[in-house]
Amino acid sequence: MKNKTWFWILLFAVLAAAGAGVYLLRGGGGTMADIYVDGELYKRVDLTAVAVPYDIPVKTQYGYNVVHVEHGAVSVIRSDCPEQICVHQGAITDSRVPIVCLPHHLVIQIEEP
Amino acid sequence: MNKTKKLVFMALLAAISLGIWAAEAQIPPIVPVPGIKLGLANIVTLTAMALLGRRAAGDVLIVRIVLGSLFAGSFSAILFSLAGGALAWGVMALTIGRFDDKKLWVVSVFGAVAHNAGELGAAVVVTRTASLLWYGPVLLASGIVTGAFTGIAAAYLVRAVKPFVQRL
Repeated sequence: MKNKTWFWILLFAVLAAAGAGVYLLRGGGGTMADIYVDGELYKRVDLTAVAVPYDIPVKTQYGYNVVHVEHGAVSVIRSDCPEQICVHQGAITDSRVPIVCLPHHLVIQIEEP
Repeated sequence: MNKTKKLVFMALLAAISLGIWAAEAQIPPIVPVPGIKLGLANIVTLTAMALLGRRAAGDVLIVRIVLGSLFAGSFSAILFSLAGGALAWGVMALTIGRFDDKKLWVVSVFGAVAHNAGELGAAVVVTRTASLLWYGPVLLASGIVTGAFTGIAAAYLVRAVKPFVQRL
C-alpha cells in the first residue's frame, strides 16, 4: 500500500520534471513574430527591425484583434472575444509560449527566421 | 439516500462548483501561459464522483460547464470546456474504482492531465496549428501539479462530508 503511493508520487514527479524540462530546454530564441489565422500565415514581422512600436489590426471572419509589436516583443492589446485570455497574457519575447486567441482561431508564435 | 435528497445534494454541488469556477476566473493567471490554471472546480466534480458516483459527477459537471459558459463565455468556450471536461470525466470514471479515498489525488492527476490534453487537442483542431502540440509537455507538467493539489483538497472534502452524506 505504502509502496504504491510512492510509486505514483515518483512516476508523476518524473513526468512533471520531463515535461518542464522539455519546455525549458526547447529553444527560447527566434526573432520573427508570425501571426497565423486558421493555421495560415497572416503576417510575419521581424521583431529586431521594429524601432518604433506599432499596432497591426487583425480583422477576420472570426473577430477583431489588435496585435502590438515592439523591439523583441509581441502582444495582443485588444480583442473583441469574451474571454480576453490573449490580452491578459501580455507580451511574449521568445518561442516557448505562443499567444492563442481560440475564438478567433488566431495564433502568434515567435520563430526562427 | 433517496432520490430527492440526492437531487438536492447534486444541485448544491453544481452551485458550489459554479461559484468556485466563477471565482477562479477572476483571479489573474499565476503564470503567463494560457491553459494553466488550478481547476479548483474539479474538487467538486471529484468529490461528487467519490460520494455519489460517476453518473452524478457527470451531471454536476455538465450543469457547471453549460451554466458557466452561458454566464461568462461564448459558444466556442462551451466546446472547449466540454472537450476538456468530457475527457477528464471519462479518465477519472475509469480510474476512480482502482484507488481508495486516500489516493484520490492520483485520480485527480489523471483527470487534470486528460483535461489539458482535451483542451490542447481542441485548440489544435480549431486553429489548425499542429505546432501548438509543443505546448503539450508543459501542460502535462502543470496538469500533474494542479491535479495533485485539487485531488488532495478533494480527499479532505470527501473525508469531511462523507459521514454527513451517509446519514442522509
